[in-house]
Amino acid sequence: MNVFFASIGFGLVSAAVLAIASVGFTLQFAVTNVLNLAYTAVMTASAYAAYALNVRGVTIWAAALAAMLMGALLSLFLNRVVYTPFQRRRASPIALVIVALGMTLIIEYGTQAVAGPTNVSYAMSQGANVGIGSFQLSVAELAIIGLSVVLMLGVHVLIRFTRLGKAMRATAANRDLARSSGIRTDRIVTVTWLITGALCGLAGAVFGMNAGTFGATSTDIFLVLILAAVFLGGPGEPYGAMLGALVIGLGTEVSAAFIVSDYKDVIAFVALLAMLALRPNGLLGARA
Amino acid sequence: MFDTKTLDGVPRRRRRMLRMGGLAVLVAVTAAAVAGAPGGAAVKKASAGTLTIADVAPFTGVDAALGPTYLVACDAVTGAINKAGGVLGSQLACKSVDTKGDPADAVPAVRQLYASTSNLALVIGLTSDEAAAVVPIINSNKTVAFGMTGQAEFDHIHFPYFYRLVPADLAESYAMVAIAHFRKHDKRVALAFGNDIGSQTFVGPAVASVKKAGEKLVANETLDLKATTFRTEAAKIIAGHPDVILTEALGPAEAAFLSEVKQQNGGKVIPVIGTSATISPDWFKSVAAAVGASTLASDFLADNLVVDTTGPAYTAFKTALFAEKGKVGSTGSFSTYLTAPGAVHLYDGINLAALAMVAAKSTNSSVWRPYLQKVANGSVVVHDFAQGVAALKQGKTIAYVGPGGPTKFNGYNDSNGIFQIDAYTTSGAVKVVGNISSAWINAVR
Repeated sequence: MNVFFASIGFGLVSAAVLAIASVGFTLQFAVTNVLNLAYTAVMTASAYAAYALNVRGVTIWAAALAAMLMGALLSLFLNRVVYTPFQRRRASPIALVIVALGMTLIIEYGTQAVAGPTNVSYAMSQGANVGIGSFQLSVAELAIIGLSVVLMLGVHVLIRFTRLGKAMRATAANRDLARSSGIRTDRIVTVTWLITGALCGLAGAVFGMNAGTFGATSTDIFLVLILAAVFLGGPGEPYGAMLGALVIGLGTEVSAAFIVSDYKDVIAFVALLAMLALRPNGLLGARA
Repeated sequence: MFDTKTLDGVPRRRRRMLRMGGLAVLVAVTAAAVAGAPGGAAVKKASAGTLTIADVAPFTGVDAALGPTYLVACDAVTGAINKAGGVLGSQLACKSVDTKGDPADAVPAVRQLYASTSNLALVIGLTSDEAAAVVPIINSNKTVAFGMTGQAEFDHIHFPYFYRLVPADLAESYAMVAIAHFRKHDKRVALAFGNDIGSQTFVGPAVASVKKAGEKLVANETLDLKATTFRTEAAKIIAGHPDVILTEALGPAEAAFLSEVKQQNGGKVIPVIGTSATISPDWFKSVAAAVGASTLASDFLADNLVVDTTGPAYTAFKTALFAEKGKVGSTGSFSTYLTAPGAVHLYDGINLAALAMVAAKSTNSSVWRPYLQKVANGSVVVHDFAQGVAALKQGKTIAYVGPGGPTKFNGYNDSNGIFQIDAYTTSGAVKVVGNISSAWINAVR
């Protein structure tokens, strides 16, 4: 087995999972102006929602819809009940970050209180291995990559070719001007929370499929990878998040093929720091 | 110009009600999280005239399976002791102290234990995740502690109040290599250990032992316990074409890693030898779900401390343990606790401590600590607390021998054990499939 070529395949799978999560995160940030650090906690809760159906015999691919619903509703709840009141009181950005961190703990430990401290696994088959030479992936892994590609195309179509997408871009660019132009920005924000929340929920289910087994705190480090992908690509830039996810996903797995494996995440952040030193706004952000 | 009763079309009073309702939900969830999430010290049952035994171990985090294993043993043995009248008129109660497997959390948790517990009689648990950080605190408070850590740093450091019930980790490393070399005749060995303190202590001795045994180390991968996938690590292992993988990576990492090995190896698992920590209901449940119970039953062996499964000691242990069945959350096959080292040896340790208190006629650690050796090396062999108390009342000296065999502490309060080879059945029950002789160990150390 050629480990290098094998690691490229693995990197694509990691990138696919990261892309679904990162695009949702960065869209959320761009339109709502909230750095929702509770994003991965919502992912976890959504993953458990899918598990609750899967353990009762529903195929995980269908149960992922429940995860999307959970993610959408929980994200909307977070916005309406937690973030918006603080924003209306003109809380500082750092205060909102602290609030988001607090919500992370509440959601994660609330999930743990309900689901228990032991890890769970989805009942799903990985399928046969498909590939050429050392580039081998299972059917499930290929399905995750395919799902990610479809979603990225869907996001592209949404923001480029729909009125909603246009309104989202306008709100992200300048909320006051957008409101003055007749765009109901509060509704756009609500819809954005729902859409990105659904992406978040789906990311949670896909995370669980990819990991094989997960617990209430399994996504803690994943948040850091999301942030790395988002800021590598340019904060608020969905296409940047896609590119960032690809760089981080490939970088971590390919580097693990050549160096000590437990430092692979470190490589991702070294790449991020180097990029930010050269282009502070990220790969696709405006030049500083 | 502005409608003060509404904002963005939503009446202000309705917005306030929505907000209050949402906050009420948040408070309820937070309360549930605080009540349900183990952390700090959770008292199971305590009242006046009760002596507390604290289980200081991970109950959450990657090593979350360890704390409950020790707690099951504690509840089992204290139940039996209390039924026999307790210790000097006092009942025993167990208390969980969650270290989260992190020294940074363990130290404040232990400090809180001392601040909140006036009748602390004994500390048990103390895994490699937190022992180095908290043993000095426990020792300075003159509390006897029975630890399950095999860390090398305790091999030659003397904490008078700290007793180690398991052999050093390097002895386990030798045992694993001995199984590979003598029982399975493997030539190519791969190592895959978690990056936590407790697992990494096996690696150095295993590497040296593989070389001494004349085998080839084809891969040595460290598994980040916080990672969720191990595809590249599995690929590197498979690329080395090992005959066997020696491993310990607790939590979800082991299941994810072995699942990847099976997936990339054409659906076949490379035979695995685990440490005694892999003899655990949670480990079996997690890994069996990932690779299949039949695969685990046919391709897995572990070194484990010898448990005498015949005789009155084992009968008493089994009776006490199964009295706790149904009181522990879903952990897989309960019968796995019958040979789990944390359950067996802490059961013995607590019995020894209780008998030492009775022999010393005192619950003060400084007074009864010297009696630990006396109740382990006397003339009359006893197999449970009630037998021991009866013999002590007749003025006899006793030698407690439990399901873990006789306990002998060396000058550093470490006990040495002998190893057996365990395997799983498809239902998760553990069976003994062989023994590891001292000749085998000496050949690879």
